[in-house]
Parts: sequence; C-alpha cells; structure tokens
Amino acid sequence: MSFTFWRRIWHLVNRRRHERDLVTEMHEHREMMSDPKGFGDPHRLLERSRDAWGWNWLDDASQDLKLGLRGLVRAPGFTVTAVLILAFGIGLNLTLYQMVNVALLRPPAIASPDTLARFDRQSPSWTSTGLPYVASQIVARDNTALSAVLLEAGTPMVWGESTGTAASFVSANWFTELGYGPLIGRVFVPQIDGASDAPATVVVSHKFWRSQLGASPAVIGTSVVINKHAATLIGVMPANFPGLDLDQPAIWLPINQREHYYPDSAFLRSWETNNTAIYGRLKPGVSPQAAREMLKATMASLHAEQPDHFAADEWLEPLMGSVNFMRPGERIQILGVMSMIGALSSLVLVVAAANIGNLVLSRATGRARELGVRIALGARRSRIVRQLLVETLPLGMAGAIGGLAFSTWASSLVAALGDLPPYLDFSPDWRTMVVGLTLGVAALAVAGALPAWKVAQQELTAAIKDGGQQVSMRLDRARMRRLMVATQVAGSCLLLVIAAMTTRGLQRLLTSDLGFEYAQSALLESGLGQHGVSGEAARAYWSAVSERVRANPETLETALVLAPPLGGRIRETGYNDAPRLLVISNSVEPAYFSLMEIPLLSGRTFERGDDPTATVVISRRLAEQMYGSLDVLGKGFPKSEPTSFIIGVAGDAASIKVGAAGVAELYHPLALEDYEQAALIARARTDPTRLLPVLREAASIDPRVFPATRLLRDDFERRIFGTRMASGIAVAVGLLTLMLACIGIFGVVSYGVTLRTKDIGIHLAMGARRSAVLRLVMRQVLSPVAVGMLIGIAAAAPIGTALSRSPLQLQSADPVAYVGGFLVFGVAAAVAAMLPSMRVFRSDPIRALRHE
Amino acid sequence: MPTRAGLPPGTLVMLILRVLRPGPLHGYAIAQRIRQLSSEQLSVEEGSLYPALQKVLVAGLVKADWTTSETGRRVRSYKLTAKGLKQLDAEQDNYQRMADAIASILEST
Repeated sequence: MSFTFWRRIWHLVNRRRHERDLVTEMHEHREMMSDPKGFGDPHRLLERSRDAWGWNWLDDASQDLKLGLRGLVRAPGFTVTAVLILAFGIGLNLTLYQMVNVALLRPPAIASPDTLARFDRQSPSWTSTGLPYVASQIVARDNTALSAVLLEAGTPMVWGESTGTAASFVSANWFTELGYGPLIGRVFVPQIDGASDAPATVVVSHKFWRSQLGASPAVIGTSVVINKHAATLIGVMPANFPGLDLDQPAIWLPINQREHYYPDSAFLRSWETNNTAIYGRLKPGVSPQAAREMLKATMASLHAEQPDHFAADEWLEPLMGSVNFMRPGERIQILGVMSMIGALSSLVLVVAAANIGNLVLSRATGRARELGVRIALGARRSRIVRQLLVETLPLGMAGAIGGLAFSTWASSLVAALGDLPPYLDFSPDWRTMVVGLTLGVAALAVAGALPAWKVAQQELTAAIKDGGQQVSMRLDRARMRRLMVATQVAGSCLLLVIAAMTTRGLQRLLTSDLGFEYAQSALLESGLGQHGVSGEAARAYWSAVSERVRANPETLETALVLAPPLGGRIRETGYNDAPRLLVISNSVEPAYFSLMEIPLLSGRTFERGDDPTATVVISRRLAEQMYGSLDVLGKGFPKSEPTSFIIGVAGDAASIKVGAAGVAELYHPLALEDYEQAALIARARTDPTRLLPVLREAASIDPRVFPATRLLRDDFERRIFGTRMASGIAVAVGLLTLMLACIGIFGVVSYGVTLRTKDIGIHLAMGARRSAVLRLVMRQVLSPVAVGMLIGIAAAAPIGTALSRSPLQLQSADPVAYVGGFLVFGVAAAVAAMLPSMRVFRSDPIRALRHE
Repeated sequence: MPTRAGLPPGTLVMLILRVLRPGPLHGYAIAQRIRQLSSEQLSVEEGSLYPALQKVLVAGLVKADWTTSETGRRVRSYKLTAKGLKQLDAEQDNYQRMADAIASILEST
C-alpha cells in the first residue's frame, strides 16, 4: 500500500516524462498496426491512463486556483479590501500572541533556563524577592543543592559628570552562568573580578555603548567615572543579552566591588534589608522541590546565627527560569487576562471573516449562471463547492502573509512605544507562522466554505434561464447572510462597549479625585542609606536640606516621606479586623498632609515627640472598615490587638496605588531609622520645574550624595501610561471593527438594492411612496442588526466584569459605556444602511425598468 | 472497458498478467499475444491496453523498461514482478472457481 503511494508520488514528480513516454509508446503501437483504426481514440485513452494514477483532483484544483486568481486580479477592489480586512484580523491576533509569548511566556534566552531558579525568601505570612547580601554569601557557601549562585542588585548611578544610568551589581559569574560572552572585550571572571581587592571593572550594555559611547571599540580598556569613582571598562555585551526581568541595566559592576563606589555603605554587611536578588543553578538531578528542602538546612543555620533577622519558619522558594521566574498564580493570572483579551481579538477575526464571507457570497451569486452551466454539464455539487473554496485560497494566503507583516510592524511599534528592552525579539518565528496560517485557514473556513456550501445548495441549473435572478434573490434572503450580519454587528458592538469602558477607565483616572494634590510638587531622593549615611547623620542631613529648600521663595512647603506618592516602594499589610482591605503604611513628616492637601477629618496630625511606634493616623476607609465609625480618636490600632493609638483620621488618598480598589492608608511619624531612605517633597508656589535645580543644589551639601529629582506629575503620567495605551488600542480596534461591520451592512443593503432595481422601478412607477420603498430595502438588515446589537451589548457585561479584575480596571456596570457604544454603533450602522438605500431616491423608475 | 467480443470487466488486467508470465513483452506484443492466444475470438480495442497497463504499474504488478525491439524500434517492455505473479495466481484461481460455478449452473437441467 505504501509502496503504491510512493509509486504515485514518483509518477507525480516525473509526470511530464511519463506522459511523453506514454504518448510515444501509443504512437509506436499504432505505427506497428496494420489497421491503426482498431487502436481507439488516443486522446480519450491517454486521459483514462492518466486517471489510473489518481492525480486528477490536483489538476482540477490547480485549474480552480488559476481561475480564482484570475477572478481576483479582475476584481482588484474586492481583492484588496478582502486581503486588508483579513490581514488586519489575523495580524491583530498574531500581535497579541507574539507579545504575550515573547514578553511573558517564553523563558529568557539563557543557558538551560530549566535549571536556573530565582529564590524568594518566604514565610507562611510574607514573601520577599531578595535577601541580605551577607545571607546570600552563606547560602552560596553552605548548600548541597546548587552548583552556582548568582546575585543581582540594581540601583541608579551616575556615569561621568551627570548621566543618570541604570546600574546592576552582579556576582562575577553572572555572564558565564547565563551563557553569554562579550560582544567585544571580556566579561567578569570570578577569579579576577570576584576578589574584593580586584581593580574596579565595568561591563556596558549594547544599547548604552551605542547611545553613550558612540559604538567605538576603542572604549575597551579605558578608564571611566561612575559615582565619581574610577573604573575600567572591560567589555560590551551583545544586543541580545537578556535581562532576567523586563528591565535591562545599562551597566554591570561586580557586586563584591560595591564599596568602591559607596565607601561608607553597610550594604555588604547589613542583615537589615533584603537588598540582593539570588538565583541558583540547580545541580544535575536536583528538582526545584528537592532544592527547597535541601536549602532548609542552610536557612536553619541562618536562623541559628541571626535569630533576629531570620525566623525559624522561613524557607527559600524556587521560581524556575523555564516559567520566567513566575509563581504559578501569577502565570495563571496573566494567562487568564490574556486569554480574555485573546478572545476579544479573535472576535475581530470572526467579524472580518464574516464580512468577507458576505462579500464572497455576493460575488458567487453573480456567477450563478456560470455555475449552473457547469452543473448542467455534469459537474457534481461537491466539485462546485471545491471550486468556490479553492478560489478563495489565495485570499487566505495573502491575508496570512499580510497578517504576519502587520504583526511584525505592530509589535515593534508597541516595543518602541513601551520602551521594551532590545533583547526581546518580536520577529516572527515558525510558531508565529503556524499560528498565522492556522488563523488564515480558520478564517477561510468561514469566509470561503460556508458561502460555497450555500451556493452549491441552490438550484443552479435554473439560473441558466433567468440569469441567476432567482438564485440571487434566495441567497440574498438566506439565513446565513443574516447570521453573518448579526455576527459582525454583535462582535463590533461588544468591542465598542469594551473600548468605551477602557476609555472611561482612563477618564476616571485622569479626572478622579485622587484625594491628594500632586501637580505642583517635585521630589528629591538622595539615597542616603546607599552611601552609608544613616541615623542621626541622615536626620541632620534632611533638616539642613529642608531648611535650604524652604529658604527659596518659590517653595511653599516641604515634607519628608518614606514612600513617595505615585511610585514609592511600600509595605502592604492585611488585618484580620478589616479582611477586605489592603493597608498601605507610610511614614511621613507632619507637614505631609497639608502639603498634599489630604484633609484631616478629625484629630490632629503628628507632633514632635510623638512615639513613631505607638502613634498612627489612619484613613477614612480604614476607620470605617475596621471600627465601623469615624469616631476612633484615642482608640488602639489594630482593633483587636492594639500596638498604637489613633491620633487622627485623614481623607482617603490613593497616593501609592492609583485607581486601585480596596486599599486604605496608615501613617506613622518618621522614625530615626527611616531618614536614610526618606525622600523630600517640595511644593511650588508657581511652577514645580523651577524647584528641581533648587532641590539638587540643596542636596549637594553632602558631597557623597547623588541626588535624583523629578516632578510628581511625570510620575503620574508614567503610572497611567499602561492604561492610556490599553485604551488607545481598544479604541482603535473598536473603531476598525465598527468600520468592518459598517462595510458589511453597506454591502448587504447595496447588493439588495441592485438586485431589486426592477422591483423598485415597478413600485415607483406604480406610485409607491419612496419612504415605503426605503423600508423595503432596509428591512432585511434591520432584524439581524438589532439582534446582533442586543447580543453584543449583553455579552459586554460578563466580559467587562472579568476584565475589571485585570490591570485594566474596567467598571462593568458603567451605563455611559453602554449607551456610548450603543449610540455610536447605532448611528454608524444607520448611515451604512442609508447610504446605498439613497440610490432609491435618485433612481428614475423608467431607467430602473430598462435595467435588465 | 469497451470490447467487441464482450470481455468481462476486470479480466483485461488478468489477461495482461497472464501473457507476461513467460517473459517480458512490449505493448504491441501484448496485444498480439492476447489476440493469438484467444484464437482471435477476443478482439479488444487495442488502445484500452494502455489504461489497464497504467493500473498494473500503479499497483506494482509489472515493471516497465525501455528497450529496443527486434525490429530496431524503441519500445517499452513490461515485466511481471513477484507481486504480479502472486496476483495472477490468485486471480486465475478465482476466475477458475467462478467459471466452474457458472458452468455447473448452466449445465444443470
């Protein structure tokens, strides 16, 4: 059997030669015969010989394909429209697939991501993504599970005179363990750069090398200045060197040389802060679960050595590189949101396919007579279906290719807009191509197969007599056609409502009362802790800086804060007394409330002498949820096991998590140990940009410090960038789908009007009112449009609810979004249906009657 | 399969295999052999040999090679394969049984 198959393939490949042989053979045979007439008709016999090999269907198909291509070339308008629509539908889906795959799901391009784990410090009640550097050294030394330990601690630094640069302190084995060598120069070598007395070295990223160093190979070996300390530039990494999260630093420095740049820093010795991310290469045969168990011995020795800093019930949780260092929960959450968005974007493809299906149906009816002739000549219906289907094949192919091009363009656009790191490669791989082709085939199934099947069902032979009038009328009234219109309308309506929801979400963010005032303020961060300034020295530094800033006439007020609004790192706590609230605690100077215009609803703000560990101000929402009233002054906090007293109630201020629900604030006075990490907010009388040089100048009273200043309103913009982008994309997609649906409605009505030209002529000649005629032609789209709109709007509610838990923060019960989507669609659909109908008004009954 | 002497359908393939049993033959010779062996009773439209030959080629029952005939013409000669031989035996047995059965019905009174 299989031999027969290969013989047939062999025949197909050598077809020309075989046919020539056969013709020669038959010719010779006839030559030899005394009476060649007894041979029979050579043409017929040749045809039958060909049949034996079973490749005729291929001939038919290629003929159909040629016919189809010719037809498409002859109707360029239809072809271009259809290909564009398909390319958009497929491209949108491909883009989404590509973005999710590359940025979120595909493991980083490092050596064996399946044996590299990030270890999070975890206890039954909390999690931290790092541990103290000293502890990481003990883990690296005393463990049985890991063949290598990699460390990373990112920080902003100053390159040269004043270029702010994202730097990353890494262990000297970083590059070799991740499997990357340098583009030029060399990478860190543990034996050379890992020693504490090694000369200071730095490796730079490809992007930094190109943008800041002029892409010159001569920079290798030169001396550079970082944070006012000299270092030797030893290497440049290739552009594809990945970061392990979505941020890629511009420069890398050996972590053991950190004190070279921060001489007074306790970073390398402190047990207080979880300052270093730790990655481990599992030994061969060690599973992540085994590694977690094996590392418990190391954690036990840490607990024995530092009982104040390491609890007995802590462990190190491995998160594998093969799943992008994500926890299963995070991954599922991302997949959930993405599949919801994926469902919406495939809806666009469905709308596009239904649209083209309608176009194909309209075109096929025009050919009813031709198809009828074929049936009359003995072609089977399956043959007709096949012909119509094969004819649409080039459309699907072109659509898939166009979709691929679209997605390549769109992903690089998103990467550029979102400033995604350059190692993320969005160019299509074979998987993307397979997905694209699959989508093309799926779209064809709707756009080609359904209409073909419907057309072939008709009494096509009858079309020979009346030129296809009957068949066309029947197809025009076909349920499939109405179904396709309804599908387009439903999909488009749903997407419009979702787009309206995201826009409203953005609008809410922009106009809502955040509960505080940020536009007039600027921020100064000095990173005292990094430079080893702490305790009393830090407090003295800040009081001197505050005084100098306040001395400037532009300054209205200043306040120190531990976690600056709109971007600070914060501690979130849940309390049993208010289980549905996430409480964000912050430490602030008393002036913080008046500066930020956060109202004090009762009680007082902090005063000098308040005990930082026993005095709190809580926000209104926290008071209501934990105590059920605002009358809480003097009560203990938290309610059931109090550790402090409430001295004031402040208004709700979403200063850290903008737009998030279920969040409340808790304020402490600044404690002595907070000063080294605190930041200064200054409020301007007129223009906060004028405060930036003032802040920098004031901060320079300590020469060790590298101050960073920025405007709070820029932070706000950064915060809402994602929402802005999501809403922009949703609106663009919504409008494009609306356009598709309108083209669909326009096409159906327009086709109906053309088909009924004669009818309409008779109606008008008999004196029918034009409005009645108009109703006649509009009637056929009215019910599918109405049904589609209802379905679309009904479907928006559950989808909106599902997406409201995503970062998009939609509000599903937003009547404005519904009414807006409904109105926009209604008006657009009415225009799309009216435009072709208007021809009725312009038509001259007599000319209409002569139409045939 | 149009035949003047009513060749039952499917038998042409069997006849081709049968005449190839003694040795390879080219198309014209196959036609001649069939005519000779049937004492000129069976006269097939000679060209219909070729579709049948293609069928046995596909099935791998015969192999074809270009050779030069005794008369110096380039001809394609067909040779029975082992599979073809087995097929011929099977078909002959079948046909014999069928013919016997039909004969016994016809001879009954």
